[in-house]
Amino acid sequence: MSETFGVDPLITETADRLFSQICDHESIQNAEANGEAAEIWNAFAETGFPWISIGEEFGGSGGTLLEALEVLRLVGYHAAPIPAAETGVLGGWLLASSGQQLPEGVVTVLPNGSEDLLVTRNGDHLTLTGRGLRVPWARAAEIIVVPIQVEEQTFAATVDPGDCQITPMTNMAGEPRDTVDFNQVKAFAAPLPSDVNLQTFRFRGALSRTALMAGAIEKMSQLTVSYTNDRVQFGRPVAKFQAVQQHLVWGAQDAALARMAAETAGREANRGDGAFEIASAKLIANQAAARATKACHQAHGAMGMTQEYPLHHLSRRLWSWRKEYGGDAEWGEWLGRIAISQGADGLYPLITGGSAALT
Amino acid sequence: MSDLTEDQIRSALESILERRTADTRLTTMGAGSDDLEAGRRYLADTVAEGWHVPTWPAEYGGRKASSSQNALIGSILREFIVPDLYPFAIGLGMVGPALLAHGNSSQQEKWLKAIASGTSIWCQMFSEPEAGSDLANVALQAKLDGDEWVVEGQKTWTSRAMWADWAICLARTDPAQPKHKGLTMFAMPMAIPGVEIRPLMQMNRDAHFSEVFVEGARLSDEWRIGDVGEGWRVAMTVLAHERAGGGSRGGGDGSTRGAHIPTWISDLQALPTPHNAIWDDAVMGLYSHDAVSRWTMQRASDEARSSGSPGPAGSGAKLRTVKSYKGRAYLANQSSGAYGMLQDGHGYIELMTAPSMSIRGGTDEIQRNILGERVLGLPGEPRLDRDVPWKESRRGLI
Ligand SMILES: Cc1cc2nc3c(=O)[nH]c(=O)nc-3n(C[C@H](O)[C@H](O)[C@H](O)COP(=O)(O)OP(=O)(O)OC[C@H]3O[C@@H](n4cnc5c(N)ncnc54)[C@H](O)[C@@H]3O)c2cc1C
Repeated sequence: MSETFGVDPLITETADRLFSQICDHESIQNAEANGEAAEIWNAFAETGFPWISIGEEFGGSGGTLLEALEVLRLVGYHAAPIPAAETGVLGGWLLASSGQQLPEGVVTVLPNGSEDLLVTRNGDHLTLTGRGLRVPWARAAEIIVVPIQVEEQTFAATVDPGDCQITPMTNMAGEPRDTVDFNQVKAFAAPLPSDVNLQTFRFRGALSRTALMAGAIEKMSQLTVSYTNDRVQFGRPVAKFQAVQQHLVWGAQDAALARMAAETAGREANRGDGAFEIASAKLIANQAAARATKACHQAHGAMGMTQEYPLHHLSRRLWSWRKEYGGDAEWGEWLGRIAISQGADGLYPLITGGSAALT
Repeated sequence: MSDLTEDQIRSALESILERRTADTRLTTMGAGSDDLEAGRRYLADTVAEGWHVPTWPAEYGGRKASSSQNALIGSILREFIVPDLYPFAIGLGMVGPALLAHGNSSQQEKWLKAIASGTSIWCQMFSEPEAGSDLANVALQAKLDGDEWVVEGQKTWTSRAMWADWAICLARTDPAQPKHKGLTMFAMPMAIPGVEIRPLMQMNRDAHFSEVFVEGARLSDEWRIGDVGEGWRVAMTVLAHERAGGGSRGGGDGSTRGAHIPTWISDLQALPTPHNAIWDDAVMGLYSHDAVSRWTMQRASDEARSSGSPGPAGSGAKLRTVKSYKGRAYLANQSSGAYGMLQDGHGYIELMTAPSMSIRGGTDEIQRNILGERVLGLPGEPRLDRDVPWKESRRGLI
């Protein structure tokens, strides 16, 4: 496993070793069948990894955003069926940013924030009514965090899942993406600083998916290279056929591209806002996922289509993550608008300077 | 039988089938549908006048139709509700034509009518763990013992095995011959002792393909299709028909003639995603691809009819059909936005099934090899094992 910029190799090694031990084929299959993976989560939580980048004063593990993203990359690489992003860099981040303590267990967030909810103020708390869609692991969460914008101020509202009605739903990979109904649910709301709002939350969601996707594409590419070198047809490994090599090259290119984009976005986000890099990285990861899943499935032949072989753990996650926190159209359009707004003379500085050229 | 006019065919079909409307939805072949009865009923209803396999002889469930008459019936059938015939596709589209080409008259008598009327289901036992693209590498052995063949070995990816009454099974009868020469084709009943089926689950959650383990199953020599050692030739006939789209008449792409917008397009239009020029371009690109593909298929099948076998044109047909299916699946998923990430999202089954389309029935790469070598006359791949006994070449020569 190659090193990641700005991350202590010990984190990479430890997380990689942990996931190798706890996320085998059977446990991932079981997680999908049972709708939860408590054992994997508990082993993961024991190490404190879910809370990297969150200050210790809020119950986090400390460390940087880059390190948290590195752990997410490994979650994707091992197809770990756990709400790592929701508990840490998304939900945990909203809680800590608003000065709230993190609970011990799973945290999830409403991906669309309060967009789909009717929010009324009731003295010192808020009342929420409406439906949250595709909420990761709501069924397992101790707290649901809802970023809510009221006029110019954004709040991190916390809700007890027990007060909501949760309908289990699953994404293409069989991970929980539940429907959460709020019927006059009481929420405690704490104000967020001005740089944490619905828009930066959306970017942060995209950043988390980009890290997961970079890991999954890399694993998929490695799996494909090794399978095609073992698989013999016509008296030789199928990897010797140029047509198959072309698939392998697509897979490897896309793995490198997605990881480079994810790391660049992480680095810029760690430094400042990194909006341009994050938008670019999510679009790149989305497109890389589409190409790489095609190429890797094709190179595997029928074997890649079975539940008994692990390729689908990665490809189905990629197809789902590709749609979360912005599909191709959303980020393509955002980037297009930015590029146009810079004018012809601003384009090259934008490409070379990224977000820094925008300020 | 003398040729019927369009109106005669239509009114005959009207008396037994229901018309398709703009809302008729078709299921995905081999995914998401477990309904054997609808297909059985349809075949039972259409067999008397030979509507589903018009070119077959009348006594076997056809109407001895000419190529042009067959094409006309096919296009009029599209106006009616034809259920998903996936369970019956091997028999109708592949085994039937192979029996007409290579079977003897008692075999044709025994099997064809049962296939055409939907009373027997066939599966295809070709692929093995070591014989995928390299199909001629099959290792499942059949040995003559008295006047019966004793079969040992394993097949895999056998779709429909759990429904099938019969399999068309490619076996090695002479390991001392080079790999293409020592093969023989058999019909094998699935319910005899020594045949065990283990279903495999696909990533689309469909469990319609299986491993089949055969241990000491005994086959009558009367079930051998074609001569001993001629299995490869029979297999090529079966595969040529599979590639040319054998058996998928009626089901499939949801395109209709005339007034209806294809259902895949109206379904897309109903999604809440904004439609713009990029979207229109993608939809119309696929629509025109489908139309051209259908016409090309028609031309290829006319040519095939005069030459007796689909030939390499079937490979082109398969590549195009696959492109249509995948293109629609990806577009539907793209168009459904974030909702499309859910398992109950629009087009979920199709998306999960899409990759297999470029694999089953011979991969895209293999189809292109066939087109390159047989249509364009490009130099063939090195075939070091052509003249080497299979028992020596099976472990690889390089
Ligand atoms: C859904 C499904 C249903 C199926 N149903 C049946 C069935 O009912 N009966 C049956 O017998 N089989 C069935 N099959 C098996 C199918 O025929 C094989 O999967 C197919 O022939 C490919 O073989 P393979 O999977 O072993 O891939 P491999 O042959 O291992 O191929 C792996 C990769 O190498 C490439 N490759 C191999 N050789 C070459 C070459 N010479 N040049 C360039 N590239 C090459 C392939 O294109 C592919 O990308 C089914 C498969 C699927 C997915």
